[in-house]
This record gives sequence, C-alpha cells and structure tokens, in this order.
Amino acid sequence: MADYAFSHRHLLGIEGLNRLDIETLLELGDKYVELNRRRVKHADTLAGRTLVNLFFENSTRTQGSFEIAGRRLGADVITMPIATSSVKKGETLIDTAMTLNAMRPDLLVIRHGSSGAVKLLSRKVDCAVINAGDGTHEHPTQALLDALTIRRRVGEISGMRIAICGDILHSRVARSNVACLNILGAQVRLIAPRTLTPPGAADWGAEVFTDMRKGLAGCDVVMMLRLQQERMDGAYLPSAREFFHFYGLDADKLSHANPNAFIMHPGPMNRGVEIESGIADHKTRSLITEQVEMGVAVRMAVLETLAKNAPEPGVAK
Amino acid sequence: MTGLTAIYNARLIDPATGRDEVGGVLIENGVIVEFGPSVMKTAAADVKIDAKGKALAPGLIDLRVKTGEPGAENKETLQTASDAAAAGGVTTFVVMPDTDPVIDSVALVDFIQRRAEGVAKVKVYPAGGLTLGLDGAKMSEIGLIREAGAAFFTNGDRPVEDAGVLRRAMSYASSFDALVASRPDTPALSKNTVMNAGAFAARLGLRGAPPEAEWIALERDLMLAETTGVRLLADCISTARSLAAVERARKAGVKVSCSVASYSLFFNELDVGDYLTYCKVQPPFRSETDRMALIAGLKRGAIDAVVSAHDPQPTEDKRLPIADAAFGAVGLETLLPCLLSIAIREDIPLAQALKPVTSGPADLLGLPQGRIAKGAPADLVLFDPAAPWACDRDDLVSRSKNSPFDGRKFEGRVLRTWVNGQTVYERG
Repeated sequence: MADYAFSHRHLLGIEGLNRLDIETLLELGDKYVELNRRRVKHADTLAGRTLVNLFFENSTRTQGSFEIAGRRLGADVITMPIATSSVKKGETLIDTAMTLNAMRPDLLVIRHGSSGAVKLLSRKVDCAVINAGDGTHEHPTQALLDALTIRRRVGEISGMRIAICGDILHSRVARSNVACLNILGAQVRLIAPRTLTPPGAADWGAEVFTDMRKGLAGCDVVMMLRLQQERMDGAYLPSAREFFHFYGLDADKLSHANPNAFIMHPGPMNRGVEIESGIADHKTRSLITEQVEMGVAVRMAVLETLAKNAPEPGVAK
Repeated sequence: MTGLTAIYNARLIDPATGRDEVGGVLIENGVIVEFGPSVMKTAAADVKIDAKGKALAPGLIDLRVKTGEPGAENKETLQTASDAAAAGGVTTFVVMPDTDPVIDSVALVDFIQRRAEGVAKVKVYPAGGLTLGLDGAKMSEIGLIREAGAAFFTNGDRPVEDAGVLRRAMSYASSFDALVASRPDTPALSKNTVMNAGAFAARLGLRGAPPEAEWIALERDLMLAETTGVRLLADCISTARSLAAVERARKAGVKVSCSVASYSLFFNELDVGDYLTYCKVQPPFRSETDRMALIAGLKRGAIDAVVSAHDPQPTEDKRLPIADAAFGAVGLETLLPCLLSIAIREDIPLAQALKPVTSGPADLLGLPQGRIAKGAPADLVLFDPAAPWACDRDDLVSRSKNSPFDGRKFEGRVLRTWVNGQTVYERG
C-alpha cells in the first residue's frame, strides 16, 4: 500500500473513494496521532502553503480541528469570518469563490448549509477543496475520523457490526459513515423512527430498524447522532422525552448490544435526549473524546495528501 | 365468580369461524373453557342457564364511541355509556379522543382507563389523539401513548388537513406498528353542511356535503398509507365509491381496513325527511345506491368493522333549526338490532353480519375477545334474532336520547349480556 497513490484533487465526500484511498488516509492519520501525542507537535509538511477555512455554518469543533491540523503541519491558516464578510452583503457564492481563488490558497476547507454547495465551489477554484459538511449530504472527514477511532480502539472494521442511531434523515454524518463503513466491510445498521429514516435507506447497504433493542443486538459499536432541537417540536417527533424513551441510548438499550460494545457520538451531544450522561461518560466504552483527537490527526492526513496532489503553479489552467 | 357456568340450548354463533349451530358454552373464572354441541343441560356446572334456543354470540366490539367524559358529562359519562353498551350487547368499546381535554397524553389515557375500571360494566379502551389537542399540526406522543394502552390513533371528527403533518404522523406511527384511524372528510367541501348533497337537499333548501369531500380525503389517506406503510383504518366511510377505493387499495397491498357507521347501512338521505335533526350526522346519510353498495360490501366481507358512531347530544343541542343543530346520534343500543334487521331483510347469514362487530374489530386491535373460543374471555350476548320491536328513544339507557332510530321497527333484540362471565345486562 505504501506505493498506492491517492489521486483525488478534492475531498468532497466518501462517495467516489475506494478502500485503498480510505486506508491510505487512515494510515497516515495513524502517524499523525503519534506526532500529536508528542510534546512538540510540529511538522513542516505544509510550510509555505495557505489553508483557508470557509465556514458558512457555525462550527466550533470542526473549524478548530482544521485550524489546528493546518497549523501543526506548518501551513498558514486563515479562517474567513463569514458572518461579517461580503456574503452577508449579497455577494453570490460563486463570486466569493472567485475572489478567494484570486488570493491563491492551496487548500480550501468549506462548510455550507446547502447540500451540493461545496461541490459547486470546487468547480470554480484551482486549489484543493475539502468538504467540512454540506447540508444533509456528506461530512467525509467525520467518517474518516470515526473509522480511525474504531480501527485503533476496537479493531479490524471488516465484519464488524455497527449501528448508527437517531436522526439519519438530516444527518450528513450518517450518510458519510454508511458509505465509509460499507467500503471497509462493516455490517451497518440504521436505527430510527420512520420519520427520521430517509426514503430508500434500505438500499444504502444497511439494515434498517425501528426498534432500537432489536437493532442493537450483536452490535460492536453504537454511533449516536445529534438530534437537532427543531426536530422535536411535533413535526418529526412528538417530544424529546418520547425520543429518549424509544431511541435514547441508556444502559438498558445498550445491554442489547454486544457486551463491552463501544459508544460514539460526533458531538455536540444533547445529554438526556439521544444519550444518557452515564453512557456518554463511560470510562472504558465511550470513545467520544477520542473521536475528537482522531479528528485532528485524520484532517492532517487529508490536508497533507491533497496538498501533495496539487498541481504545480502554472500547470493549472 | 367461582365454579362453572353453563349456557346451554343456544344457537351458537361465532363469526370468527362461521359457526352457527345448537350448543352451549362452559365458563370458568370469566373465560370460555368449552363450547359446542357437547355443552348440554347435563353439563357438570354450578350455574346452568337455559338459552331456550336463542342466539348466543360474542359480545359486540364497537370501535367508535364518544362519551362526554371528560368535559361534557351532561351528554354521557363512561358509566352511562357502558350501561347503554351492556343493554345493546356491546361488551367492548373504544372511546374517541375528542373530549375536553383531548385524550392526547399518557395521563389522559390513564385517566380513562382508571375511570372505566371503576365505573364501567364493559371493557373500555381509549383511542389516542393523533395530533396534540387534535390541532392537526403537531403529533402526539404516539409511542408512549401506545405503550400506555391506546387502542389506535385518530384525529376523531377533526380531519388532519395538512397532508405533510398526516404523512409524518402516519410514518411515525408505523415505527410502532400503530393503527391510525382517519375519517375521510375535506372540510373545505363539507363545512357548514347539514346532510348529503343532492337533489333532496336542494329541495329542502339545505346545504349538502358532497361525497367528493369523502373521496378526496380518502384517496389522499390511501396514498399516504401506501407510501408510509402505516396500518390505516378508513373510519366511517359512507359511499359506494369509498368502499371500492378501499378494496382496490387493499388489493394493491395497502394495509387498509374500513369501518361503516351502522346508520349508513340503515338510512338514506330521504330519511332526513321533514328536517329531522336526529338524522343530522357526520358522515351524512347518503343515497340509496350508496346504502345498497355498503350492504353488498357487508355481504362479501369487505367491511372490517361496523360501528355505532355513538355521539350523544342533549336535547337543547338538537331541538334547533337543522342548520344550527349539533351533529351526532347515539347508537350503542341500536347497533345489534340494526345489524340483525339488515341481516334478516337482506338475507345475510348471522355469522357473516356479525363479523364486523366481533372478530373483525378484535383482529384490528389484536384483542382476545370477540370470538367463542377456548381461553377467550366470556364476553357474550344472548339475543332473540327475530323478535320484532319498535325503538322508542325514551326507553334508551343512554343519558342522551338523540337516536335516528326512534320509532323505527327492528327485528332482533338483546336478552342478556355477559362480560368476563358476569351478567351485566338482563332484559326485564
């Protein structure tokens, strides 16, 4: 695998990647976990390169994670303050992209509330684009960091049974994870009430359950999703307490999974809604803070790999 | 009750199996332990009841009853409704959530169950409101309310107009395999109407509800049931075309069942006659063609449930110009006589005619009663299948007397009713 070349210019989603692409990134991610655990966490792989963070949606952890990843690799990192930028003054998305492109960044990390918006921007710029979440479509670095977490803590993903529970319908994390885990050979299960199950989910290569206890049977990993507050107002769900009763991860429901099954959550959590506090903080079984750590490492791997693939100036266009 | 009770020398009718033969049942601890021709006068029982050749059938199950409890106890309470039910041979009924407050929470379901346990002679199950306060906007806690014991979910007489809300509520309910009942109606077409639209309404100078009001809503409900996979009960359909739509959808694999109000099998629009407010009901009495189509449906087993659509209204809300009068008719005491009369007049075997008030609704709700079988609760009704009598509303047990059957002749009368082997009604 050492001589396998990751050939993509952008990372827009898990869709389009193959198993070797993913494993290449995860292996590099492994290396950066070791670096990040040292006292001095600095590499100069991206020295002289420019990384621009462009977050059209509020984000604390993903934006911070990309910033740290870029800085640790020695890149010049700029986070564009969208709230006060020209976007708010009526500039179109494409114009923003063209303007940024003229500043000649090497890497552009974009989060946007509309599915497909990141792909649209990627067509208008010369640099590498990394999707940090677009609408309810994809969030590929989340899936990669989850895979890295599982691989390091639980073991070989192939053949593992993994449940993804909660608001699948509105989740880009779920879409990327189903794709990624399928490519890596896991048996994926989706657990949600039907209002939060996307139509056609049964064709995603995952088994769909409405009964959480049945769905968790035999699972090695339980991934909970964040339930947005606005979903609980009676349109998709009657109430937070009903959701917790049937789909919140508590000790009883977890007991239907494999003994010592691991617990994951992409954060931020709604304690008492989708997950009980005691479970979220479980000393040996909760991987939630570890996911955050793996996030920085896997993003370093992604940044390095894409920066390497960037064509020399002058070659482009 | 301890010991054995035998009811012998009966014409035993069990719609679930089609049984119609001379025999009896043996009851122990409220449960049927033996039945059939072998149960005779010589049975070793502590209590022996001679049925004198009259018909013995499972007690009726009525999927649509309104009481005034909580909120309008002047109309009917759970107690008076259950007394009326017992007198009508109805041993199980479902109360609709259109009360004040609406039955849309675990606490209200619990209230109905506790009240019924204390005061009702017959078995009472609450239906849960599909949306909060029946507002047609936000779904209720369907999962928790179902766990608390709601029989099914419905918006009662306030149809959910927003198809998006209904779709999501159906979809959500299907996660729990809950039954959703919907009375198909399009308020934009039926608002402020009094009776069926047509020539007769025009002659009376009354605003009529066109059957399209039912068809449009029903077709919408059927489509949403198909795409969401929910179990749908098309509640109180009243036209030939509605029944055809349900049968067509069922054939296509949609999980749909249907109910018909007993009055829709008995009356047509002409019965509104001289502005009779007791005949002002929702859905309205339809055309004779519609009525005959529903009876044909009953004959071929296409109707899953016949309901009383019991809706008590006090005199002060009925003795008004028909446009101002309240909708609704009481029906618990006339459900069985109405069906028996139709069975005789239309030559329908009793075991067939009674299926939609016994095993039909029992199967929809997954109840053990509604059948004569070993281990089934001894909920039974003894009736004279041919006794002629005329209904007099003043003789009704129900607190409200608003019956369209007042003065009508019936063939078939309840003699005695048992719930869990205990006599709850005996005709004096």
